[in-house]
Amino acid sequence: MLMKYLFAKNEEIPPGTATLFFSFSSIVWFIIGTGLGSFNAAKLAFPDWVTGMEYFAFGKMRQVHVMAVIFGWISMAFAAAMMYITPALGNTKLWSEKLALWSCLNWNIGLAVGLVLLWMGMTSGREYSDFIYPIDLIILFGVLIPVSLNVWMTIAKRRTQGIYTTNWFFAGSIFMLMIVLLVGNLPEYFHLTGLTEAYLTWWNAHNILGLWITPVAAAIAYYTIPKITGNPLYSHRIGHLHFWSIVIFYSTPAAHHLMSAPLPEWLKSFASVEGVLILVPAIAFVSNILLTLQGKWNMFVENIEVRFTVTGVLLAIPLNMQGGFQQTRSINWYIHGTGWIVAHAHLALLGFSTFIEVAAVYYGLQMIMKRKLYSLALANFHFWMLLIGFSIYWISMTIAGLIQGAGKIYEVPYIDIVIAEHPYMIARWFGGTLVFLGNCVWLYNMYMTAREGTVVPQGRMVHELAYER
Amino acid sequence: MAWRFDNPLRTLTDDASNKVAMEIWEAESLGGITENNNRLPQPVVYLLVLTIVSAFLITFPLWGQRPTAAIYEEFVAMMDSPEVQGLATDEEKMSYMVQKAKETGSKYATPHINHPITMDDLRVLRPQIEALKTQDVVLDDYTVVGDKIVLANFEGNLRADGTQVRQQPWWDQGYTIDIFYVIYFCLAVMIVVKRLPPYTVQPRHGNERILSDAEMAELSGQRRVA
Repeated sequence: MLMKYLFAKNEEIPPGTATLFFSFSSIVWFIIGTGLGSFNAAKLAFPDWVTGMEYFAFGKMRQVHVMAVIFGWISMAFAAAMMYITPALGNTKLWSEKLALWSCLNWNIGLAVGLVLLWMGMTSGREYSDFIYPIDLIILFGVLIPVSLNVWMTIAKRRTQGIYTTNWFFAGSIFMLMIVLLVGNLPEYFHLTGLTEAYLTWWNAHNILGLWITPVAAAIAYYTIPKITGNPLYSHRIGHLHFWSIVIFYSTPAAHHLMSAPLPEWLKSFASVEGVLILVPAIAFVSNILLTLQGKWNMFVENIEVRFTVTGVLLAIPLNMQGGFQQTRSINWYIHGTGWIVAHAHLALLGFSTFIEVAAVYYGLQMIMKRKLYSLALANFHFWMLLIGFSIYWISMTIAGLIQGAGKIYEVPYIDIVIAEHPYMIARWFGGTLVFLGNCVWLYNMYMTAREGTVVPQGRMVHELAYER
Repeated sequence: MAWRFDNPLRTLTDDASNKVAMEIWEAESLGGITENNNRLPQPVVYLLVLTIVSAFLITFPLWGQRPTAAIYEEFVAMMDSPEVQGLATDEEKMSYMVQKAKETGSKYATPHINHPITMDDLRVLRPQIEALKTQDVVLDDYTVVGDKIVLANFEGNLRADGTQVRQQPWWDQGYTIDIFYVIYFCLAVMIVVKRLPPYTVQPRHGNERILSDAEMAELSGQRRVA
């Protein structure tokens, strides 16, 4: 079907087709990413699991997992959301459905090639920007610029006077992501080394989270909650506070990832204050969404999309409390280089943002296909697999991180730390595997929704019919 | 969108423009979504102020400072003395030296508590501290990193003899930039928010619709005129 539409005239492509492809692609990448994560975690839990083969070594597999979930699952789910939310908010159609389909194709091919090359050992060696630069250029020119163009042109051609909060974030974040990727990969283009390379690497990594994943996930929640609950967004004004505090306070604290590096100390002081001030957008966002829910908290229990979204929003509270304070000198001294950081990264990506994106994909697919979810029971099962699996992962890795921190500070022999944290490595693997299995169920549920979901009558919304048979 | 400055904490936009903005706000449907114009709840404002104050307090360079070579200089001078040598265990020797430094009014009494050291570690550092003393350098410019003493990574003012101060300040230029940032941010966001209709005016929902091209042209024309 994709091939049919790739060469069709734009007007002949049904609206929402790109969302459909982006959504299913993102779910498949989520399964691949979490499957790789589960495999890697098994290597830490059971050291004799798949040994002696270079291609299955942890060092190679780990970065494939990270890049698959960030650029396959998370970013592609964002694209899916952008492709249906941006036009919906402007009472218009997507500027070019055809361009979006080509972007989706390029994205899948580029990512697959990039991950295979990573697997073969062709890497820039820099975390979160591991792809070699030709792949970066494919992603930039074949994916990001076309997707941005679609978002910006759809907003420009909107049929409204105002621009809703979600679209500010979409348009701004995708612009900032391009800058981040261009600047963040400079060490590779110009062979920069040493501190410059270290700083730019972490500037890139920090801002992929801060200027892309965090704001776009928040933007989706700004759409999902008012749309499904029917409540007005609590405050347009707080939306402004949120947007500008993200731009100002999230773009600057990259040096807090390098608190023990020989960077100028004033830069660390600057970054550390800004790091705590990340709480400003977080407070604005969480308060705006939770206040929007006034009088509709029953939907947290009754509606699967609201439940996923609000869980993500609630997870933003511990996420930002950790993020704000763990980078200060005294706390960073203890937890730097331990599993605590791994737990925190998963709280951001698998907790906060994933729960919000899953809701967007559930809602978007039902809206585009005009079909009711095949099985609400399976969706509930998916929710609990994700929440329980994530919680086990997060808690076990946080404990493992504290053990490692204590071991580091008190100079406990490394092998003793490995033995002490072994039970938590098994728990980590178990939690991650639950997430993986839950996602397989999700794919089945969405596939069956496409094939056999009840058709939603004209003029009705999918969430209105969730409990009707 | 004319400006007014007579009551800047209420609104920075003239009444006619605010009226048009509210008409648009109430009339048009943004994909079926509506927005309110509520202010930030007061407890949340206090939380934000607390966050900003905490950000500066908790990240002072003072917290988490590395030990300098200078804070162990007194111990090195004392460790061969008969009083110290007469004590039975290393723990007793160390405890005696910390107490002695405190009684003699050492300016490093607090760093001694923050950066305790064992006799074994002191023996490792001793030759390095003694070597630095022969070079007539400022020991405060050197930090202890593990079992090594290295020139600290700070770049302060130049001294008269041309050497550079390498000591961690309690306040540094990073904080000055932060203060600029926070002030600039607060001002910018206040201007943006105060250009909106005042929060006492709330849009009435229920009549939003997809506007026709003619309606949009009319409303945007009104906005320009206003």
